[in-house]
Amino acid sequence: MMKTFSIGGIHPSDSKISKDCKIEVLPVPSKVFISVAQHLGAPATPIVKAGDQVKVGQVIAEPAGFISAYVHSSVSGTVKSVGPRKDLAGNNMTHIEIDVEGDEWAEGIDLTDTLVTAIPEDNKEILEKIKLNGVVGLGGATFPAHVKLCPPPGKKADCLILNGAECEPYLTSDYRIMLERSKEIVVGAAIMKQVLGGCPAVIGIEENKPEAIKAMTAAVAELQKTAKGYDGISVMTLKKKYPQGGEKQLIDAVMKRQVKSMGLPIDVGAVVQNVATSLAVYEAVQKNMPLITNVMTITGDCLPMENQHNYKFRIGMPLSYIAEYAGGVPEAAAKIVSGGPMMGKAIANLDATTVKGSSSLLYLTAEQTVRGVESACIRCGKCAEACPMGLEPFLLQKYARNNMFDELEDNAVQDCIECGCCLYSCPANIPLLDIIRLAKGDVIKIIRTRK
Amino acid sequence: MTQTIIWTIAILTILGAALAVVLFVVAKKFHVEEDPRIDEVEKVLPGANCGGCGQAGCRAFAQHCVASSPNLDSCFCPVGGNEGMQKVAAVLGVEVAVKEPQVAVVRCNGTCENRPRTNEYGGYQSCRVKAALYSGDTACSFGCLGCGDCVAVCQFGAITMDPATGLPVVDEEKCTACGACVKACPKGVIELRNKGRRNMRVYVSCVNKDKGAAARKACKAACIGCSKCAKVCPFEAITVENNLAYIDYTKCRLCKKCVAECPTGAIHTVNFPVIPPKPAAQTPKPEAAPAPAEPVKKEE
Repeated sequence: MMKTFSIGGIHPSDSKISKDCKIEVLPVPSKVFISVAQHLGAPATPIVKAGDQVKVGQVIAEPAGFISAYVHSSVSGTVKSVGPRKDLAGNNMTHIEIDVEGDEWAEGIDLTDTLVTAIPEDNKEILEKIKLNGVVGLGGATFPAHVKLCPPPGKKADCLILNGAECEPYLTSDYRIMLERSKEIVVGAAIMKQVLGGCPAVIGIEENKPEAIKAMTAAVAELQKTAKGYDGISVMTLKKKYPQGGEKQLIDAVMKRQVKSMGLPIDVGAVVQNVATSLAVYEAVQKNMPLITNVMTITGDCLPMENQHNYKFRIGMPLSYIAEYAGGVPEAAAKIVSGGPMMGKAIANLDATTVKGSSSLLYLTAEQTVRGVESACIRCGKCAEACPMGLEPFLLQKYARNNMFDELEDNAVQDCIECGCCLYSCPANIPLLDIIRLAKGDVIKIIRTRK
Repeated sequence: MTQTIIWTIAILTILGAALAVVLFVVAKKFHVEEDPRIDEVEKVLPGANCGGCGQAGCRAFAQHCVASSPNLDSCFCPVGGNEGMQKVAAVLGVEVAVKEPQVAVVRCNGTCENRPRTNEYGGYQSCRVKAALYSGDTACSFGCLGCGDCVAVCQFGAITMDPATGLPVVDEEKCTACGACVKACPKGVIELRNKGRRNMRVYVSCVNKDKGAAARKACKAACIGCSKCAKVCPFEAITVENNLAYIDYTKCRLCKKCVAECPTGAIHTVNFPVIPPKPAAQTPKPEAAPAPAEPVKKEE
């Protein structure tokens, strides 16, 4: 019996069109724009100015708070300017513009392909390396990884869960790295496991990726045979259901524990990290490589097969450059999404650049994106059935439209994970998520001010 | 038959009398001492319960007025205006300072023509939802989003969307300056400004803080922060901050020098008398008026 989370969930078609496309390395463009807000929390403070020479992997922005992260240069060259530029959503954000000259790397970075299996013994040193190399969670929220790996005093991790679910349709970047970098991911898991005090680690992968399950199981078995410190790592096959990759859903699926309202995973002894984060941790700790690259998927139903790609990109590359390199934007594309179709963001501005958490360029056709005409709620309850948090979206949207904040709070709007299952399942085309998301923000603000 | 009627009347009378006594006792026992002036003040208020005064409603405002009397500086009912406040002051037997009446002003001139659409928004038609998702369907990330949250929130029917421009239009007659639209606008485009002498106003109809070139590219009528208006203003009413000019309505004396100076026409004037086109030698000032007048002459 395969495991999955207990309530709600939907089954969209998985459309993993680009799953057999090997990861290709994108050439460096002539110019990059590196955003200082590539993580959750306070934007980093730039420490370079126009005219400075930088090398690949050099720190160019420092964290501006506890929840913040270092940003490194992804290219070598001259800093041309530090100033506002439009981001993905069209809003101004400070970017560091660098003219590329050659490809000179900062010292101390191991560029070889050799797998380093021996894990450093000093946990403090490991955490420092993760922090200094700017590692953030690559599952979507880009939460600074070192913060998650330091449980608050009094709390202990019982299990490290590696998220290889990749439940969003279309996306295949995690799948590809699980096939091509399986051993590195396992080493990363072992490192995080050691930092968390030697708890077991479970790599959760959905059943629709049998090759990834095979590759990861083989990697775990081999490393357990040949090296020390790899006991207690296992691969778990999960039933396919969206949003399996949600932190709370994954904990429910793997550990059968439920995180309480407004609680954190560590409250039930769980730490969840994405497989891509695990790879970044490996690179940061074993190779001293800062997080300046990630893998993204170029896909879509309207994209011909030869133009489907999985690219290893460097941060700061303009999306228009990547789209052009991949064969251009297809004519049938009505909407370009960064991220999956369920939770991704529509791109308003293709001049925006890649960030640490960029996971895709997804081309959707008009047919796939145009919303139906909204009609009255018929109280069929489909949204309540689909909600993985056990909420009642039809009720919440009604309260939200009337600004009934007490009722919203009583009905736990703050637990909404914005997965979009309600919107997906609504036969009346009510913009449930749009309305509930705003109300959630308001209620969380009210709760914070009350405290 | 008659007996039933008599019994019914008797029982109901006794019940009524008994309950009246109970009600009387309870009313006496739990009587809440309240300033009678609160009721009186409430009577002279407009009763719109709009919240424009910053209180929860007219009753709350009346309580606030009575509590803060004799100093009514913190109390102002924008709907009743100065007249309404005079009445409140009369009830309370105090003096109240006359406040300049205000009106809502839409500081965006990003019409469909001035500000070309760069993408199509297909989501829920609400400015707040739209603003939470992205910067909007034009290259200007500061201007009006055009979904009409301000229209929906106005209790007085004073704001309507102009279908031709896609921008909200404020009806000065109906606007009470309650500020509901100011709070509803996620982009902060709407501002309350003093109505001004004879309702005449001069303001910068733009909130774009991008650098000049970017702002100009996004919208033909954008303020590009060139500071020409600030240099020409004899009253130091104009400040330019973050590439955006702002006219302080308390200092502006409506000389309109800035209007002629603005290269993008971002500075707007309202309710100035239209100067007749014929006497050209009257004053050197009215540069804006002759433009539409000339072609008319030629046609004749």
